[in-house]
Amino acid sequence: MCDTCGCGNPDEFKIHGKENGQMANWRNGENQEHHHHDHEHEHDGHTHSHVHDHTPEKVISLNMDILSENNRLAERNRGYFEGKHVLALNLVSSPGSGKTTILEKTIHALIPSRKIFVIEGDQQTARDADRIEKSGAPAIQINTGSGCHLDAKMIHLALHKMEVDNQAILFIENVGNLVCPALFDLGEQKRVVVISVTEGDDKPLKYPYMFQSSNLCIINKTDLLPYVDFSVEAAIQYARQLNPDLEFILMSAKTGEGMNEWYTWLSKQ
Amino acid sequence: MEVIELAQREADKNGVSRIREILIEVGDLSGVEADAFQSALELIVHGTILAEAELRISRTPGKGKCMKCNMEFEMNNRIDCCPKCLCLPSEISEGQEFRVLSMVVE
Repeated sequence: MCDTCGCGNPDEFKIHGKENGQMANWRNGENQEHHHHDHEHEHDGHTHSHVHDHTPEKVISLNMDILSENNRLAERNRGYFEGKHVLALNLVSSPGSGKTTILEKTIHALIPSRKIFVIEGDQQTARDADRIEKSGAPAIQINTGSGCHLDAKMIHLALHKMEVDNQAILFIENVGNLVCPALFDLGEQKRVVVISVTEGDDKPLKYPYMFQSSNLCIINKTDLLPYVDFSVEAAIQYARQLNPDLEFILMSAKTGEGMNEWYTWLSKQ
Repeated sequence: MEVIELAQREADKNGVSRIREILIEVGDLSGVEADAFQSALELIVHGTILAEAELRISRTPGKGKCMKCNMEFEMNNRIDCCPKCLCLPSEISEGQEFRVLSMVVE
């Protein structure tokens, strides 16, 4: 969680996308070119002296979840997706597990029979959104700055910049990180965790929160299995210990192994 | 940041200008490192409604329930399993809390 490491200033994120066909940048959801606000405040002569009478102390009992505001916005996003029959998927993984390549292949295979939209989350650059757009799907990039996860508010604002068609699939590619994104509901229907065989097969044990909160686990880069010490059975066993309902797909986005299984999974959601 | 926003919202709602103390519950299985959270929060409260508030953390130990025999047992981390049935998934019943319990205000 991000207050933990001190990262993640919520006033810092940027969204890159197209507005009326033109590239545009938004800081915290506001277009930097078009919507310049002067933040001057007139005080009509009233002064800011406040008299403190040292009123007696009082205890306010709250019992409020600290992530409740995020959860509230996530529910709003979920309602929006349900209303439009959009399948929204939150893709989470470590950096370099192959999420963007999986998406590129998926877009090539499923368009034009299915409309696909993508929200890309990275700390910096619009490189992934550019890759996705080249594959043929509209994409919007969120740069989280020093933050290490996407949150529901960023998704909410991104949805104002990109009109997602009814019945479409919306892939939300989260920041490559198996820690903080686990705690932030974005309003997705399903969460997909991607690991690759070049990582350790004990990853589920090391990052249990992510595997407990996911619905599907893609084990990617299986073409490399002969060259690494990754045991698929062990990884599945560890993950099932944490989450008995977790589904698995063995995949090589490079060779195409498992891709049909993935498309079938998508069509069933 | 969420804590500061929450405190500000509640202060506004209750017409409060000063918060003397804020009590935050952090479960041992919540994914939040309580000490790091407290240090980070102390750094970012400057200039906010919590600037003068004492930040108090209340820890809640983890507790789980075996999905097979229903026995309740202490959990030190999320992958602990029932000491009797061993290594079966268990349901976390306590320790996932991350919430503001109360504020002392003026």
